[in-house]
Amino acid sequence: MKRGLALYATAVYVFLHVPLLILAVFSFNASRFTVWRGFTLYWYQAAAADRELVESAMNSLIIAVGSTVLATVIGTLGAYGLWKRGSNWLAGSLYLSLVTPEIVTGVSLLAFFQWVFRFLDLRLGMHTVILAHVAFSVAYVVVVVMARLRTFDPALEEAALDLGATEWVAFRKVTLPHLAPAVAAAAMLAFTISIDDYVITSLVAGVDSQTLPMAIYALARRGVNPMLNAVSTVVIVALGAIVLFSERLRSA
Amino acid sequence: MKPLRSLFLAPAAALMIVTIAVPLAIICFYSLLTRGAYGGVERPWTTENYRLLFDPLYGAIFLRSFWIAAVATALCLVLGFPLALFIARSGSRKNLYLSLVILPFWTSFLIRTYAWMFLLRDTGLINTGLQAAGLIHTPLPMLYNDGAVILGLVYGYLPFTVLPLYATLERLDKSLLEAAADLGSPPWNTLFRVMLPLCAPGIRAGAILVFVPCLGTYLTSDLLGGSKTILIGNLVQNQFTAARDWPFGAAASLTLMAVAMALLFAVRRQGEELL
Amino acid sequence: MNRRVFLMSVAGAAGCGGGVPRLNVYNWSDYVAPDTIPGFEREFRVRVHYGTYESIPEMLAKVMSGNSGWDVVFPSAEYVRPMREMGLVAPLRHDWLPNLQALDAAFQHPSWDPELRWSVPYMHGTTGIAYQRSLAPQPRAWSDLWDERLRGRITMLDDPPEVLGACLKKLGYSLNSGDPNELRRAKQEAIAQKRLLRAYLNAEVRDQLVAGDVGAAQAWAVTAAQAIAAARGELAFVLPAEGFARFADNMAILRESRRSELAHHFIDYLLRPEVAAKIVQATRTATANGAAHKLLPPEIRENPVLYPPPEVLARGEWFEPQSAASQSLRDRLWTEIKSA
Repeated sequence: MKRGLALYATAVYVFLHVPLLILAVFSFNASRFTVWRGFTLYWYQAAAADRELVESAMNSLIIAVGSTVLATVIGTLGAYGLWKRGSNWLAGSLYLSLVTPEIVTGVSLLAFFQWVFRFLDLRLGMHTVILAHVAFSVAYVVVVVMARLRTFDPALEEAALDLGATEWVAFRKVTLPHLAPAVAAAAMLAFTISIDDYVITSLVAGVDSQTLPMAIYALARRGVNPMLNAVSTVVIVALGAIVLFSERLRSA
Repeated sequence: MKPLRSLFLAPAAALMIVTIAVPLAIICFYSLLTRGAYGGVERPWTTENYRLLFDPLYGAIFLRSFWIAAVATALCLVLGFPLALFIARSGSRKNLYLSLVILPFWTSFLIRTYAWMFLLRDTGLINTGLQAAGLIHTPLPMLYNDGAVILGLVYGYLPFTVLPLYATLERLDKSLLEAAADLGSPPWNTLFRVMLPLCAPGIRAGAILVFVPCLGTYLTSDLLGGSKTILIGNLVQNQFTAARDWPFGAAASLTLMAVAMALLFAVRRQGEELL
Repeated sequence: MNRRVFLMSVAGAAGCGGGVPRLNVYNWSDYVAPDTIPGFEREFRVRVHYGTYESIPEMLAKVMSGNSGWDVVFPSAEYVRPMREMGLVAPLRHDWLPNLQALDAAFQHPSWDPELRWSVPYMHGTTGIAYQRSLAPQPRAWSDLWDERLRGRITMLDDPPEVLGACLKKLGYSLNSGDPNELRRAKQEAIAQKRLLRAYLNAEVRDQLVAGDVGAAQAWAVTAAQAIAAARGELAFVLPAEGFARFADNMAILRESRRSELAHHFIDYLLRPEVAAKIVQATRTATANGAAHKLLPPEIRENPVLYPPPEVLARGEWFEPQSAASQSLRDRLWTEIKSA
């Protein structure tokens, strides 16, 4: 039974990892087709020379960094606030944002922006994408930070208050340092969610805010393309590195 | 003291009002209006959009999406349970094995879908390999069918079942299993009569975490299904883009959301936290 | 910084960014040569933000709000009138478009915009069948795409007017039919064909034709020409006997554009015979630019896939705008086809 289980687990691991490995291997293939014709970096050069791809990768980075900073600050404060004094409707709406199907979040935000823009001279763009990303990642931040807060002894903070610290100082000097690893992990999570999102982004994006997933989708819709293998490999390696780094942070 | 505490909540509360409450309210309004000639919404107010959802055509699309999501969920559980059991019993290597499950999940969903396009197409690696080995002469049609869509969904959401299953299996009281074995219960019997019932919370959580996103999917059916199927996700997306019928799209998305919420409450009533 | 200034600067940053003027061009994919945009940027000292779409509804969904930020778009002929009626496109100033005279005589007074007040024809094409030469018998008509022997090796376009159009033509009707009975019969045909289909694919069918995955495909002449060029003699293209769709993509300036003069310069730049000729050589599309056509090397100029002889073109029918009732019936029939 035990051997069988190990064998089974190995098979599932192969299922999970091999497709991505093959994708990576064939990004170095000199042929467009699935026949090995020798090693090349051509597809990486082609991807790096593609203006649309590079621009959208830059946009993705700007959006991910911007929305991560905002979501982490808002989410951490929110988690702390919720921990101090519960708020059923806030917890409920965070929960709601967590379980809303992506397509619904996307269309409702699009409808909202179009409605607001009737009164303001604004248009879809980076700012709408960032706002949307903050909206869907903040709940994840709250969940992660909240989990850490549950292990925190409120007596520590009360001691600081008794010794004359203001509430803000107690939060900053006592609670926040304890939360730091969770805040870092939450930020990483928000970053990876933001940089990966397609469904919501594609609906609220404007002229200047095509993101990398949008470019990838457009390319994939035009068929299999070795350049896409190269881009995928870069994304896999980069995100993998971030995740490993965040694991380090959390265990440190 | 009180005002400061509220200030901590204020940004999150403001964000939720702007990005959840108001947009959903707008969608509610839209779902009760009439479509404009070229998109947008017009009066009069009507419940026609909801009535239309009972049309057998759209009913069939909902059923079909349920079916595909259910099959994908079941497969995720079947694939995920033994794996979670394996990880829970692997002692000091638990964390390593667990991160090996999560690692592919961190790469882009689109890229994971694309990886399967790359493997499954007629001139993809599997067909080329089988042909080179002389096992088949004409390529097997693996891409552009429901099987490919389900495969893509299972691949995309498998970690969502492994994590909660692992969490419950980890906490499982081993002495109960030993007691069953001592009383002469064969392993399969123990699995079905003791272990699975004890894991029910993890199974439910894992099922919901896969089922709900699968229900709203449209990318996988586009890319791996060759646009031959239409799921709720495609229907909603299509109403807001190509068909330009916002009110109907709004009604369909609210219905989708209501279904998702109902499922969640059904699970939560058991008194368990999902996340 | 007060809130108003902040909001405006955010909007400004999104709209133009930096001191260099920007032009936002939204076009079909594969519709310019690699050096077309950089050439315009160098000459006019501007930045061009160039985005692409795969279908008109995708473009329309973005620009319909009237504040999308795009300046120049490329609507198909049958969308010129609806876009004008929606107030989305701006009238053109011919004094800013001296190269208009380069247009082919056939496109100087097109039926959809006889005075070229709102649009300038850019590329044109047909929809036919791209197929492997090895097929026997070779497809000659739409009805050949209902051939049981090709099961799993046929693709149709993922585009409602094209699929319904092919079915209507197969039945002997106009592809612009708004008649509910004719449309329902066309839907029946599409559903009957669906079990033979591999997938509904647009431009991505090109690679699958070249790789040999697809036997016969409903394809745009442009896609077919690109595939034929890549496949060295294994592929061919035919315009079906029952009749076929003709289309033209046009350049237009959105009413919302705040850079109308620059947008005119861009259109005029694309109209220059040498620029247009380079685009055709890179993309293998059929240009509406007569002067550019003369500059092409003979093997492209006389390519029958892109420039069919007049007696063949006479079988073609232009797409026309649909009435609201016909459009919503077509939307629904498309959903029925897809969910069958």
